[in-house]
Amino acid sequence: MQLLWEGLQQAAQLVLEGDPLVFAAAWRSIWISTLAVILATACGLPIGMWLAGAQFFGSRLMILVFRAGMALPTVFVGMLCYALFSRQGILGPFELLYSPWGIVCGELLLAVPIIVSISHGATKSLDPRVAETAWTLGASPLRRGLTYLSEARTGVLLAVLTAFARCVTELGIAMIVGGNIKGHTRTLATATALQTSKGEIARGIAMGILLLFVALVASYLIGRLGRETRAANLP
Amino acid sequence: MIEIKQLQVTRGGKTICAVEHLMAKSGERLVVVGPNGSGKSTLLRVLAGLIVDYSGQCEVSAGSRERTYVHQQPILFRGSVLSNVRYGQQGRAGGGASAAQWLDRMGVGDLATRDSQNLSGGEIRRIALARALACEPKLLILDEPLAELDLLATHTVCEVLNQLPHTTIVIASPIEVPALLECQRFDLKKPAPSSTPSAH
Repeated sequence: MQLLWEGLQQAAQLVLEGDPLVFAAAWRSIWISTLAVILATACGLPIGMWLAGAQFFGSRLMILVFRAGMALPTVFVGMLCYALFSRQGILGPFELLYSPWGIVCGELLLAVPIIVSISHGATKSLDPRVAETAWTLGASPLRRGLTYLSEARTGVLLAVLTAFARCVTELGIAMIVGGNIKGHTRTLATATALQTSKGEIARGIAMGILLLFVALVASYLIGRLGRETRAANLP
Repeated sequence: MIEIKQLQVTRGGKTICAVEHLMAKSGERLVVVGPNGSGKSTLLRVLAGLIVDYSGQCEVSAGSRERTYVHQQPILFRGSVLSNVRYGQQGRAGGGASAAQWLDRMGVGDLATRDSQNLSGGEIRRIALARALACEPKLLILDEPLAELDLLATHTVCEVLNQLPHTTIVIASPIEVPALLECQRFDLKKPAPSSTPSAH
């Protein structure tokens, strides 16, 4: 309890003093995870919705693979990315290793299965009358897709939120692909691990609390976005 | 407009709808009356194009964008009542009544700005009907459109439906519809496993 209390005090101190290293790491964590989740949503959402409506040979296997992907160990993804981005790897020429962009790519791999699986479940559990009504009202395929998205909004937002939470708190990819380089690839998660390994437990807890705070703010903003979208539908 | 011959819909080896012969000309109003489980909704879903795996012949001279179906328990999309009624109008050539005018005709014009998720069953039904009518379909397919409606609302809906001379309307109802609604009656019997389709 003493450690937690000290951690809370230090977290408040770090925020109030505006520690540049902490804020830089926090900002890096936010933009890397946000970009990864935006990209994952852009490619994962159409896949999830398409799989919810499609019936073809192998569709069940695809869903199973994406669901299994939700439990991908971040260390495994990190090692996979390391193999791909290293000089001998097929993506070596892009020099993604030990760069924030490399972490974005790794987190993208982490987020896509989450977005696909949860949006697939949310669309699949929609009342069948939604699709039938949209079709009988003559909606185009794109408009029908947007209607499903709107009706499954709660599930879709949950998918985005879950993916963001997983990305912003992950350690394996940021550590292996990013290398925890100070001022370049250090994120809140890697900074927390570093402080803890240095024996500065209270400072590590403070970083962890900041990480939790970022997740909390993201959760609030996404929830608010859902409410505002609903209100925007009213003329 | 509609011609059905020897229509049979089977699910799990059991016939759930059987119609030997049914015809409706353009602009006709037809009410399909039958007990629960006689296949009224199934017949309407075939006409709407929602069921395509059936045996027999079902010809409807209206494209998928020219026919509109309202469910037995209709649903409204998220958003306002007005945005729901406008839904089907998008991408169509205008010229007819506006969404607000259809709501007024259905007696629910005052609900236009309300959130679609906070309405009574009767209100949802009338709004869903206004939404279907706003598409100005050639064929309007209504599954029990008068259920849950009070006397005044029933009167309003019947009057609106009577004022659509160029729209073919097919209605399903488990009981007699009010005499106010001018329509032909088609009796649908509950299909027995070995029975032949019913004729009109």
